[in-house]
Amino acid sequence: MAVIVCHGLKGGAGITFAAAHLAMTLSEAGAEVTVLSVAQRDTLPLHFGLQPALTLPSLFAPAEDAVLASGINLRSHTKAVDDADFVPTLLDLGYFEAGPDRVMVIDVPASEFAFARRIIPHSSANLCVLNAAPDTLALLPQVLGDASAETIARTTFAINALDETRRLSRHSAAFIRELVGPRLIGRIRLDEAVPEAIAMLQPLARYAPSSAALADVRAIGAAMVPALETPGRPWVARGEIAAASSSRAA
Amino acid sequence: MRIDARHLLDRLGKNDFAYKEFEDRFTELELWPILEALLRDPRLQAIDQVETAAPEPVVNETVGTSAPEPLSALFSRYGRGPAEPTDVAAERRGAQAQDVRAMLRHLSDLGSRGEI
Repeated sequence: MAVIVCHGLKGGAGITFAAAHLAMTLSEAGAEVTVLSVAQRDTLPLHFGLQPALTLPSLFAPAEDAVLASGINLRSHTKAVDDADFVPTLLDLGYFEAGPDRVMVIDVPASEFAFARRIIPHSSANLCVLNAAPDTLALLPQVLGDASAETIARTTFAINALDETRRLSRHSAAFIRELVGPRLIGRIRLDEAVPEAIAMLQPLARYAPSSAALADVRAIGAAMVPALETPGRPWVARGEIAAASSSRAA
Repeated sequence: MRIDARHLLDRLGKNDFAYKEFEDRFTELELWPILEALLRDPRLQAIDQVETAAPEPVVNETVGTSAPEPLSALFSRYGRGPAEPTDVAAERRGAQAQDVRAMLRHLSDLGSRGEI
């Protein structure tokens, strides 16, 4: 089972939103998908149109306790962040293997950055969700300074809740784009349909099928699919590698 | 989506708006000291060093990213060991300022071409 880690620099960036919709995109592409939340305060069910009072079953709970939303298995494991055996256990169970058929998306709150750093080296891909805002930009040097070269090399970025009508937002997005280059695999426009869908207890795709944010986050999910078979470089499509190689040879 | 917005989009035959009419001039980008402060932080070099160490990636065209100006050039003079003679240090400060301005100007150019 391939693992994709969704994480971020700062709370409120939309990490859970991205994780949920990444899972939906992969599921629609035919994968068997599990989403694992490790947050103590969990909003994951809301993005699937589920009731706020719902408590997700443990990762290790039996199948009859499973919560399935649109065919996606929603699980929780809040102890994962403090559990030194979490990665070895998952390795023993056959997780962290490449392949597009079975995928686990792990939703990691920004505050659990140490846990994210621990699991990223084992994952097929990881997505760092950012806001185009100055306080987020200010955290970039610290995060890049602390991260290993391997982690940086494996990280892809997405800008969430981008308000292109605001000058500072556009400038901040431009700065991120220039800084991370091809590692930025997309941006999700600010869209009031996202909180409205939560308030309506509906998945975004049902509440607002033409939502700009939905189209954007789906494009990001599609861009990550190659990572499932080619771990570590999700922005590199395998076909394009071959095409580029042959054109260089020519 | 509000009903009035939905009706307007229906009349325009669109699913959503994309705000592409905004152009950002170089002088506007210069307004934010935080961008310049961040560009001077040597820790940002980490992302560039990884890029140069790894094989050149092929950008997935479907996601619409633009080719960045090499940051290795931008940061190459930052964070070197012991202090240098005063005239060289002054020269470096001037070069750094130019590099920051060059990147901001590059961002502005991309904006005017509608690429950001």
